[in-house]
Amino acid sequence: MTDLSVDVQGLGRIYKTRGSPGSPGREFSALTDVNLQVRRGELFGLLGPNGAGKTTLIKILTTLLSPTSGSALVAGYDVAGESRKVRPRISMVSGGEASGYGLLTVRENLWMFSQFYGIPSGEANRRIEAMLEVLHMSDRLDTKSAELSTGLRQKMNIVRGFLTDPEVLFLDEPTLGLDVGASRDVRAFIREWMKEDPNRTLLLTTHYMVEADELCDRIAIINKGRVLACDTPENLKKRLQGEAIFQLEVTPVPAAAVTSLESLPGLHKVTHHEADGRSRLDLVLEEESALSSVLAHMTGLGIHLLSLTKREPTLEDVFVELVGTSMEEMEHDVSGGA
Amino acid sequence: MATWLGWQIESNWTDPLLFATYSIIKPLAGASILVVMYAVITHGNFSAPMFQWIYVGSALYLYVGSIMTGISWGVVDDRERYRMLKYLYAVPTPFAVYLLGRGVSRFITGSFSVWITILFGVIFLKIRQSPEHFHPALFVVGLVLGLATLASMGLVLGAVVLTLKTHTEQLGDAVAGALYLFSGAAFSIAMLPAWLRPLAYALPLGYWLEVMRRSLLGPPPAQFATFAAWSDGQLLLALLGFAAGYALLAAGTLKVCVHSARERGMLDQVSNF
Amino acid sequence: MFPAVHKRTGWRAALMTIFGRAYPRVIGATRELSWIFFEIFLPLVAVSAYVFVYRGLGAPEAYVGFVVVGGAMTAFWLNVLWSMGSQLYWEKETGNLGLYIMAPCSLMSILLGMALGGMVATSARALVILLLGAVLFHVHFAVSNFAQLFAVFMLTMAALYGLGMMFSSLFLLMGREAWHFSHLAMEPVYLVSGFFFPLRSFPFWISAAASILPLSLGLDAMRQLVFPPGTIHPFLGVKLEIAFLAVLAVLFIAAARRLLDHMERLAVREGRLTDRGA
Repeated sequence: MTDLSVDVQGLGRIYKTRGSPGSPGREFSALTDVNLQVRRGELFGLLGPNGAGKTTLIKILTTLLSPTSGSALVAGYDVAGESRKVRPRISMVSGGEASGYGLLTVRENLWMFSQFYGIPSGEANRRIEAMLEVLHMSDRLDTKSAELSTGLRQKMNIVRGFLTDPEVLFLDEPTLGLDVGASRDVRAFIREWMKEDPNRTLLLTTHYMVEADELCDRIAIINKGRVLACDTPENLKKRLQGEAIFQLEVTPVPAAAVTSLESLPGLHKVTHHEADGRSRLDLVLEEESALSSVLAHMTGLGIHLLSLTKREPTLEDVFVELVGTSMEEMEHDVSGGA
Repeated sequence: MATWLGWQIESNWTDPLLFATYSIIKPLAGASILVVMYAVITHGNFSAPMFQWIYVGSALYLYVGSIMTGISWGVVDDRERYRMLKYLYAVPTPFAVYLLGRGVSRFITGSFSVWITILFGVIFLKIRQSPEHFHPALFVVGLVLGLATLASMGLVLGAVVLTLKTHTEQLGDAVAGALYLFSGAAFSIAMLPAWLRPLAYALPLGYWLEVMRRSLLGPPPAQFATFAAWSDGQLLLALLGFAAGYALLAAGTLKVCVHSARERGMLDQVSNF
Repeated sequence: MFPAVHKRTGWRAALMTIFGRAYPRVIGATRELSWIFFEIFLPLVAVSAYVFVYRGLGAPEAYVGFVVVGGAMTAFWLNVLWSMGSQLYWEKETGNLGLYIMAPCSLMSILLGMALGGMVATSARALVILLLGAVLFHVHFAVSNFAQLFAVFMLTMAALYGLGMMFSSLFLLMGREAWHFSHLAMEPVYLVSGFFFPLRSFPFWISAAASILPLSLGLDAMRQLVFPPGTIHPFLGVKLEIAFLAVLAVLFIAAARRLLDHMERLAVREGRLTDRGA
């Protein structure tokens, strides 16, 4: 039994789109030279915006997609060449998926999937009942899955993933679209499952910073198909400990003013959000003393300070530091440009 | 918009393969089943008036399948594959108009089927249309009234599909296949057991096919004498009544079924199993 | 709370997969009572129309029996075409295909499960249509050899559902075009398989070419076995038809397996086949 549940070396994946007469096909690199090691018993997070390559990586690790270059071992087996040895040891749940059949009840759908993994019916039914109990949906055992709300359907999918007791479980955005209560239930479920057996490994992708921070032992930040950093949440945040982080609420800031702020000495990064007729500026300063010159510059531009808070670095700040822009802004740009 | 959408999705008769599939191969194979059945029993007596009546009636009956399937399949496809039905339902255009538009592409390919099948019969099976028997006015009025009634029947079926969780894919074809029994297309309605005949008389198909065949082939042969006592005018009047009655039925069914589908959250269901 | 589980492997796991996937086919198909109307009543009415066509033509009553048997068997062809052939495509569209590929069981077991479930559910429908048709139209059956009839039916089903499993992979690769193929394979197959008349009604070479479809030979053999001797002019003898059906069953199941492997490799290489709408 290897100590590494996931061992990814120099992994790359290129998608080719088919051309048509008169226009050649195109190539798009979804992953480039990715290196990752996830230890047995670890709850590992992949953090990145939409389109960063997280789902592609998960698909490769779950044997649904072959890599274009490099190698990936899961539970000690090569996902490309030994997929039949990998599959009994893994499971995956994707956020927003609608697995199973709407005409079957929750119990029947879960039982059906358990059969594909060779779990005897009695044992499968006991596990289904126990897991649904933990997720507060025992009363839905005999409800047709077509009649479930999005949140309950996602909880059913979560149970499907855990039901087969995988050595390595992949959760791709498991709380996507869930309300606060359901997300909390799912996170509690994940923690409970990991606590029970030190040999269980879980790889979670998310673009919710708080979720990654709360759950994961280690996190890899991924953007545009590349891993930019990989460490514990604490160590990632320590990268910014020499810097001072302030959150300012001010009167509306024109785009040109943000650009002029960025050129001020001592100001490392600035991110800007508009809400309710106010602007929020997150400033990462090389040292605290730089704040006075920033405030003076803003006053000169006619921007008035409404509130100021000094705060500890978050994973969001780490992401901004590594990528140069916030995840929210990136996703806004992507959706706006789509 | 719905017609354009249906056309983009369903069919493109400039695609030779699709044209061949829907407008040539399927209808001709269907007609050939009857031709072989007839040939086996009558030893190929294709010049008999009875065969002409059966062949043209069955060719025209292709409209029933294409219109009913066109409308009901649109519901299945938009709801379960494209998952667009809930959005389409929410647009200001009346839902009935959308469903009718969605069925237009199948109606057009269906028209090709009908006339290619008849042309095939004329060329290869001695189907003969003598000019003195052709009544263009009866043909046009009969066609318009018949198609309007079929569209209403298609709407009824499309509305019912909205409320079904299963058996939706082949429903149009299945219903059209079942209604064939009551249409008098290939055998006289008088052949049916007495307890089934009222149902056949309550459907517009027999009247419509009688009008269409009279307008193209002249008076019916002895084996198809069900409506022999009816004049052309009486038949057209009956068809007009059916067109109005089925339009009302379609409006009512659509209202009830849409309400039921909304109540049961079925505008966005997927019924795969 | 969630202790480790003991999982079965090998043939026992394969059997569990087959029964697991057959379950929704048998249960799901009958959960809505509307199936009685749509899958028994409507086909029975359609079959009745062909009975009246023969009666209208003054055909011998034996032809009524041919139509009832043929009409019952169309249920299997429709099941294979629409519920087997298009199934993997639907599984992709509803997000299940990726889960099936990722599971430790073989895709072949899953397809076998679909086939078994479809076969059981359709057999019930076909039997009801056959019995009701026989009662309504006074069809007289006289089975001459039950063992041969059982062999013909089972081999026809094996070959037919083998063909359906082949279609599954092919249709997945074809995408939406498969719908057109399914439509294309309805009336022409009804015609050449002799659903409504004996296969022998065609010239020899057309009947021989149609024999690639398992239902053509299966129906011909079944009609020879369920009606009194001399009722039908057979295309081939029953024993020869059984032998051909056995060959078709082996060929189609082997081809289905190869195609499925190919489809899985392609899915993993290109990453398209498990994505909705791709």
